[in-house]
Amino acid sequence: MQLWPFARKKEKEHPAFAQNHSWFTNIDQNQPIECYNFVVFDTELTGLSGRDEIVSIGAVHVRDLKIIAGETFHSFVRPHKITNATDSTLLHRITPEQLAHAPTLKEILPKFIEFCGPSLLVGHYVSLDLGYINKAAKKIFRSTIKNPCLDTMRLAQVYTDICWENHHDQFNLQVSFNLADLSRDYGLPAFSQHDALQDSLQTAYLFIYLIKKLKVQGIVTLKELYTAGQKWKRIF
Amino acid sequence: MPHKNELHNVSPEIVLEFLKKTLPFNELDRDTLKRLARQCIIDFYPKNTLIFKQDTTEVTHFHLIQKGGVKTYLKDEQGQVTLKDFRGEGEYFGALPIIQNTTANLNVETVEDTFCFLFHKEAFMELLHSAPKVTTYFLRSMSEKLVRTAYKELRQHRVSTRTEGSLYLFSAQVGAVVKGEPQTINAEDTVQNAAIRMAQLHIGSLLVQDAGGEIIGIITDKDLRTRVVAQGLDYQTMVKWIMAKPVQTIESHAVCFDALLKMMSNRIHHLAITRQGRITGVVTTHDIMVLQGTSPLYLFREILAQRRAEDLYQLSLKVPLVVRSLIEEGAKANNITRMITILNDQILDRLLTLMIEKMGAPPVKFCWMLMGSEGRREQTFRTDQDNALIFELPEDEKRRLNTIEYFRIFSEEVIEHLVHCGYPRCPGNIMASNPALQKNLNGWIKAFNQWMITPDPQEVLNTTIFFDFRSGYGDENLARNLRKHLCAMAPKQEIFLAHLAKFCLHSRPPLSFFKNFIVEKNGDHKNRLNLKESGLVPFVDFARIMALKYGIAETNTLGRLQLLHEQHHISQELYNETVEAYEFLMQLRLIHQLHLLEEGMQPHNYINPADLTDLEKKTLKEAFEVIRKIQASLNQQFRLREI
Repeated sequence: MQLWPFARKKEKEHPAFAQNHSWFTNIDQNQPIECYNFVVFDTELTGLSGRDEIVSIGAVHVRDLKIIAGETFHSFVRPHKITNATDSTLLHRITPEQLAHAPTLKEILPKFIEFCGPSLLVGHYVSLDLGYINKAAKKIFRSTIKNPCLDTMRLAQVYTDICWENHHDQFNLQVSFNLADLSRDYGLPAFSQHDALQDSLQTAYLFIYLIKKLKVQGIVTLKELYTAGQKWKRIF
Repeated sequence: MPHKNELHNVSPEIVLEFLKKTLPFNELDRDTLKRLARQCIIDFYPKNTLIFKQDTTEVTHFHLIQKGGVKTYLKDEQGQVTLKDFRGEGEYFGALPIIQNTTANLNVETVEDTFCFLFHKEAFMELLHSAPKVTTYFLRSMSEKLVRTAYKELRQHRVSTRTEGSLYLFSAQVGAVVKGEPQTINAEDTVQNAAIRMAQLHIGSLLVQDAGGEIIGIITDKDLRTRVVAQGLDYQTMVKWIMAKPVQTIESHAVCFDALLKMMSNRIHHLAITRQGRITGVVTTHDIMVLQGTSPLYLFREILAQRRAEDLYQLSLKVPLVVRSLIEEGAKANNITRMITILNDQILDRLLTLMIEKMGAPPVKFCWMLMGSEGRREQTFRTDQDNALIFELPEDEKRRLNTIEYFRIFSEEVIEHLVHCGYPRCPGNIMASNPALQKNLNGWIKAFNQWMITPDPQEVLNTTIFFDFRSGYGDENLARNLRKHLCAMAPKQEIFLAHLAKFCLHSRPPLSFFKNFIVEKNGDHKNRLNLKESGLVPFVDFARIMALKYGIAETNTLGRLQLLHEQHHISQELYNETVEAYEFLMQLRLIHQLHLLEEGMQPHNYINPADLTDLEKKTLKEAFEVIRKIQASLNQQFRLREI
């Protein structure tokens, strides 16, 4: 029986989102970190303003804190505004043709969500990438993705912090938390920048490096990791 | 750069690029590489992580180091640590336990923060089975470890087999490796009888058959050791109670590599060979090691261990295989020929010792002399026999005849054995069985004197090989005294030396006016260059004539040149050029002949200049230029124009 015949029919939620939400309603944070599956991802944007759009998404699976190099996701995304397509050429070396034939976010997002499955998301300054994804998701699907996220930038700050605490070194305020700089400072294999897949792999290297280094320092469960991140947030 | 929408199947560039420049993966074609890269897992191990714990870790992945480094070490029960080695970027660990299907064979610990590419053992084994080049690489680089861990029996030998001709593992069928019928014993027989039988037959295992003649098990010397003696069992225990059963089998047409894998994965050392369901023999790890064992040291020890002349035949055929491993090791031709000479000497030594055991001690002192390339210690592959005998002749007529008879039989039998060992008879009958080449010391001195004092131009060439004699077996003093005499006599024989020098000038360096190679004009070797006659012989002749002129006892060409240089008979420049050119020519010939052998052809000395690389051609031409210089030097030394 209809209570209010003029009510707008609620749009049926896209099944990918429904599935996504069901996975993350109850997360046990007390397991050791290696028990969780992760997807490390990165997006390339036309710029950082509100009008800017995603032009590519790259992602890779991490299981048992190992990078599964064969399970990657990469796609270009056709922006809605044509100017955005030309702008992206400058920074990302993506040609307008590549973008013109690329699928739109409407096609890509469900695939990406499916690729991620029940994994937690990891990104470098992840809130930025997730912000753009969810902004688009809201607009297209009237929903957002609910995967809990870990930020490698935050992890790097925590790790740097612990190293200082332990070594009583002088506080180095010059330290850069940029992905390329961190990778270089930690001696990680280098990837070419400004490609979503390459950057996500670079982030994945940084991620397993940091998690395993932090584990040596006694941070073992997901909860401890979050707490360490929070503590850092309070200091600054 | 990935395009459009390659979801899930992008071959990770970083892995692909790394594999492409890493041995042995760089040998793989692009599709295989891509498939492999897609199966890659990347892991990170902070500094001081123990990745593998010896005898404990189940090894599920092959590890290739992308960045960082590890140390590998063994720890014994007392906690004593033996460091094995350090491995860095592009190196690997974990292959051996995967192939052997065992736990980690040693401890692996990171010494730096280390990133590794991991490939699951199934992917790795699949690669091994599909890419022989990769298999060969791993097998070769691991063979030392194989010896250490898989063949405990051989451990005390400390065999260095880093460079086996592993390829033979992939071509030789097990059926071909094994000689003789399988030896059996009845199941109801006693272990003591089994041991006696094994001792008599010089074998390490017996197949066990039941009353109906059916093979039901196998008993090995290890079983006797561990299941009988160590357990304190009665020697009258029946074989069937201690035998291993059922017998592991392998088809006779399987290649040795498969047999090796089967033995390793089952941790056994014997496999029964079946042909159409019937057991036809037993192959052991030892048989395969022998097949594979072309390391000089290994061969050396095997030769020493033989008790019957006939058993040397098979071993002798392996001597040329040493060349491959030595060439791969980067050995120079001179070292290789000397190594072959040592092995050939060892075979001769063993053979003559066994002959003497058989015939009884010789009635007088004697010396088995080697001549030609054997005398110069420059043997490569099969070369004709060139040998002779010095022995004392008793005054007493009867003893004299006995002595001659002894050496007649002795030399004939030895030469027959040598033929079976793969050293063909000398077409010119320059062999110890030739009565004309059996003399006492004085007889030999006279012969040399005659050759030198009244040289017959027709004969000079035929006698040169005698001047390269050395002692091969027996009383070295006999040969030494002969050499002493020669060193005193030869420098004074100017006419003889001039004749020799003249012959050296006969051979024209194979360069035409157009700076192209002069090649054979006719026959099978049309358009080919005779490396030996045109290239090597002039150097050998030069060294010999100069050594004779200056009373140098050494017979090896490079050895002669070195002494000549040290005694200031040849200039530093000519010495350097001569040695370089000669070594290059020897190396070229060795590789050429090895190639022919591996193609299943008879080794010969003809090369096609068109097959050479530009650099080789250039070097070869330079080597031939040196021959001109040698000839100019001879011309001057012996004032040939004035004769």
